[in-house]
Amino acid sequence: MQINRTGVGLIALFALLGLAMCLGPALLGADAETSLIVGSTGAIFVLVAGGLAWYARHARAKAARQDWIFENGIKGSATILEVGNSHTTVNEMPLIKLRIDLDIPGVGHTEVTRREVMPVFTANRMSEGLVLPAYANPENPAEFVLVW
Amino acid sequence: MADLDATFSSFAAERGLEPVPGLALGALTPLLVESKHCQVSPAARGRLAGEVDGIVGHLAYTRNRAFRFNVALVEVPASTALVPRLFCIRSGRSTRDDEFYGFEARHSKLWTESTGLNQRFVISVSPFQDPNWMRQLFSPALIDYLATKPPADFSFELAYGALLGSVEDDDPGADGLAALCEATAHVATRIARECEE
Repeated sequence: MQINRTGVGLIALFALLGLAMCLGPALLGADAETSLIVGSTGAIFVLVAGGLAWYARHARAKAARQDWIFENGIKGSATILEVGNSHTTVNEMPLIKLRIDLDIPGVGHTEVTRREVMPVFTANRMSEGLVLPAYANPENPAEFVLVW
Repeated sequence: MADLDATFSSFAAERGLEPVPGLALGALTPLLVESKHCQVSPAARGRLAGEVDGIVGHLAYTRNRAFRFNVALVEVPASTALVPRLFCIRSGRSTRDDEFYGFEARHSKLWTESTGLNQRFVISVSPFQDPNWMRQLFSPALIDYLATKPPADFSFELAYGALLGSVEDDDPGADGLAALCEATAHVATRIARECEE
């Protein structure tokens, strides 16, 4: 997953609106009860912005790690053994459970499971027997990137 | 709708295609997924242009407002192993008007030296692509073709071997459909040739 312009806009909107709601009533001289209610709502907005920003940063770090594995890893193949739908969706994208036979040269075959959030058109193509490229970390072959 | 049916009928007759009232294409590409049933209607199938066979049809759906595309679908099976996802979308095109999400599946924006191409299209590919292969695919000839020749709104999506060329138009006329098919076939041929090499 990666953040897009809409995501950046949402984070900025929640953060600015939240801060305005936290500070605005006090600065405008509102009474304590109003300040508390509006300020609490503002705090929730700031927390949401913080959560989204944390997730975006986590996704960016994960992407950087995957890029490193792609550039420095051992290229192998991943044969899909089983595709399971978790019936969970994230932003209209299904969370797919894959059971994979990972074949990395010099390491051999390993059966692993992987959960991936994929667009619908990608999830539709995941089927038993499909062979996808995979790159494994040479220092830790259990860490791998599945190319889909 | 009657005009559109007439357009497709006359286009099919002109080109020797088999006219069909409607076809469910499946959730093959992002644009097809926007339409719940992935159905094109009217449609025609057969030889679209050159040596390329496929389906041409009208894709209509509503996501807060009505969207109408004319699409040409062809298969480039060899591309799956080399470039699973490649999207070349006309700058500023929108395919939905109801929900916008802040996070999406990871992709890489493709950088090209062509100002004309960059102004006209937003090009993205799946991550972990071989950059040398992508440079060979986007040869100067293909870049020049994409920047100057296809219909104004032409875009294409290549996803796991399915190539969908599209133009947003209520009724493009037989000439518009011919131009869509020619452009899609040209791109399909170029990708297939590069995959063979």
